[in-house]
Amino acid sequence: VSLSDEPETLYKRLSLLVKGHDKTVLDSYEYFAVLAAKELGISIEKVHRPPKKIERFTLLKSVHIYKKHRVQYEMRTHYICLELKHLTGSTAAVYLEYVQRNLPEGVAMEVKKTKIETIPEHIQKPVWDTLPQVEETQVKS
Amino acid sequence: HAPPRTERMAVDQDWSSVYPTAAAFKPASVPLPIRMGYPVKRGVPPPKEGNLELIKIPNFLHLTPPAIKKHCAALKDFCTEWPSALDSDEKCEQHFPIEIETVDYVSAGTSIRNPKARVVTLRVKLSNLNLDDHAKKKLIKLVGERYCKDTDILTITTDRCPLRRQNYDYAIHLLTVLYHESWKTEMWESEKTEEDMEEYIWENSCSQKNALDTLIRIKASENVSNVTKEELLASEVVKNYRNSVVALKNEGETENNMSQYKDSVKKLLNIPALP
Repeated sequence: VSLSDEPETLYKRLSLLVKGHDKTVLDSYEYFAVLAAKELGISIEKVHRPPKKIERFTLLKSVHIYKKHRVQYEMRTHYICLELKHLTGSTAAVYLEYVQRNLPEGVAMEVKKTKIETIPEHIQKPVWDTLPQVEETQVKS
Repeated sequence: HAPPRTERMAVDQDWSSVYPTAAAFKPASVPLPIRMGYPVKRGVPPPKEGNLELIKIPNFLHLTPPAIKKHCAALKDFCTEWPSALDSDEKCEQHFPIEIETVDYVSAGTSIRNPKARVVTLRVKLSNLNLDDHAKKKLIKLVGERYCKDTDILTITTDRCPLRRQNYDYAIHLLTVLYHESWKTEMWESEKTEEDMEEYIWENSCSQKNALDTLIRIKASENVSNVTKEELLASEVVKNYRNSVVALKNEGETENNMSQYKDSVKKLLNIPALP
């Protein structure tokens, strides 16, 4: 395991939103992700299931004419949202890689990372106090 | 034909060696009597041999709890601990006031890139920045809609660069520029009129002039010796009136404010209370 000198980035919150068409697959995946987080020592804030979204559209059943006969399709998207808090950069990288490599086929994920940082040094004090007196340069004609 | 492997499997075998990685469902390798599918009339769902439904659905046979524990034990070496001194949100806020939010998208498709991934959102509480009164007001005016008054948070969302790192640098650059510009005082800022003021200031306003005029006229009609403006300003009744007017203008009209204003006006003009 190699150690690097640069300071660890800190993530205040990591929000995983998993989307899929099949609720049972998502439930199994949630069990896996929660167990993995507990084993790696990551604190889970909450796990909630936003309501499913159904996208429906109506198309003509036949290739030519027959306007009165249509066919309706729908796409159901189920969501599961895992909120983890207080992760360091390397822990987040390890957890995310593990969890994303084992993402089942047909399931998508969005990860929202909230990084926290100190105020950079050039904002600590306004620069106008410390600038040396600049003489007016002559305008070249 | 050879019997399936399931008949030679012991009950306490190591399952992670049967399914070490994600693989399709093999009915001869899984010793469970699963049935899946729509049953025929007055029948049961079809068995696992040659069952397409079981092969189609993604299975988690490679991620049983003992397998997950083994993986995590191996991965634990690469994790670092969260500093224990930063357990609450307030402490994080105090030491690390800037929050940067980035979103990553993982999905299957023709391309792994997602154009929404380059958006960067920067959030800062203005009380943590080193700003004085004039600088803070100027920054709020410059920034407009991106500042929320209820929670003291400035939100900058950058999207204009093609890479996330460039967007992050641009957001920090914007913050630096806003900070330094708000400390500068331009020459035209001295022409700030009453309409530009964010909050009501009582000194040098019409309300003060009117109140003093009225009081001086009352004193003149009673023929008391000329009282000076400073004495009037320092008197209790005028201070009360000033507080109630400022509260009314800044906080809006509430029951409390209106009754305070009523009392202070009565005391100012010496109107006796109703019997």
